[in-house]
Amino acid sequence: MTIQSFDLLQPRSLTEAVDMLAEHGDDARLLGGGTTLVILMKQRALHYRYLIDLQTIPGLNEIKREADGVRIGTLVTHRMVESSALIREAFPALADAFSRIGNVRVRQTASVGGNLAHGDYRLDPPPALLVLGAEVNVVGPKGARAIPLNSFFRGMYETALEPAEVLVDVKIPFMRPDSRSAYLRYSTLSANDWPCLGVAALLRKINGRCQELRIALGGVAATPILIKGLHFVADETIDDELIGRLLDKVDQQISPSADLRGSEWYKRRMARLFVRKAVEQLDVATR
Amino acid sequence: MKREITLTVNQRVEVLTVDDADTLLDVLRDRLKLWSVRESCGVGACGSCTVLFDKRPVSSCFLLAVRAVDHAITTLEGLGDGRSLHPIQEAFMEERALQCAYCTPGFVLSVKSFLEENPNPSDEDIREYLSGNLCRCAGYADILRAVRTAQRKMAHSGA
Repeated sequence: MTIQSFDLLQPRSLTEAVDMLAEHGDDARLLGGGTTLVILMKQRALHYRYLIDLQTIPGLNEIKREADGVRIGTLVTHRMVESSALIREAFPALADAFSRIGNVRVRQTASVGGNLAHGDYRLDPPPALLVLGAEVNVVGPKGARAIPLNSFFRGMYETALEPAEVLVDVKIPFMRPDSRSAYLRYSTLSANDWPCLGVAALLRKINGRCQELRIALGGVAATPILIKGLHFVADETIDDELIGRLLDKVDQQISPSADLRGSEWYKRRMARLFVRKAVEQLDVATR
Repeated sequence: MKREITLTVNQRVEVLTVDDADTLLDVLRDRLKLWSVRESCGVGACGSCTVLFDKRPVSSCFLLAVRAVDHAITTLEGLGDGRSLHPIQEAFMEERALQCAYCTPGFVLSVKSFLEENPNPSDEDIREYLSGNLCRCAGYADILRAVRTAQRKMAHSGA
């Protein structure tokens, strides 16, 4: 199948890209890695008269270490994240989440910013980034702003990006040295498929007692979600009773829909199973 | 929009007028007649349209041709010298790692990039890397053997 004709606009700066978006409104879309967008245009599920190529803007594909964390440029590819020594050392679960997506060719092409801006509820990076407390930086006609990732996903394929805003980078604060995180991906079709669900968790303990626990899931609601109300774990030890309360919290906050990858009932069962696995794994890792 | 672009394909410089909406696959097959590049799934899942983009595998079926400007593109045709085969091609023949051969160019190019990146892989590494190349004749066991044979040949020849 061929793609319906469009004009590729090639800005030289973010300001120019914002101006182009503002001028063309809904007729234009930003082109990042060009994986999902080009495929959807090929399938004629989407069409835009203008694509604005972010690749012609210098400096958007760097992973930078800063004093308090790591900044990942919007055009950094999945493959760059999974193979970055810095990311593997500072956020091994994040490198793992990126390494599980699609296949090596897709990861070679797909961009970090595009993945987030797509707002797909079942992608692997969002839960892994949510437990790390990441935020995205955007620029638009009114200037620059930071959006905590936890308030970035608004609905199915909807994000907090305003018209003519460009996602510039993702900032991930360093984890405390005694924190550990994990990402578990569960596929029910082929390994290269979108997951049935993904579970990310982060745990910090002192003397065997929980200080902090964060859990995020993908694939089980209209957006990736960070589970709320887990403060009750403070100063507790992880046992069956605590995990039971935790799983009830998860169950109350998810709203999976049935698809090829599983029924609603099945996804609820698997969410419980994989959250338990992730927490038990981190309980051992922080011992 | 139509525009004139310069592509470097198999170390040859090609000046072409393309549409912004043309994929690299369209240009390689329809314009440059490089028939080893094949479309199958059209969504980057099967690997039969694999080409090397600065030595790394990409799916040409969803890569816009305009974005290949200033990058070195290699198709299977760029591997041998026209007389002798590349060690990976020899390995695929020796291990009979092909039946209908529709997927073979994509596999050979993926293996090339993989062995250059990781000259001493584990079996798991090979399976993981090649999991995005599908062979519907299901010759996977032969293909995995061919990777090991290619690895030996390349270590031997320094290729």
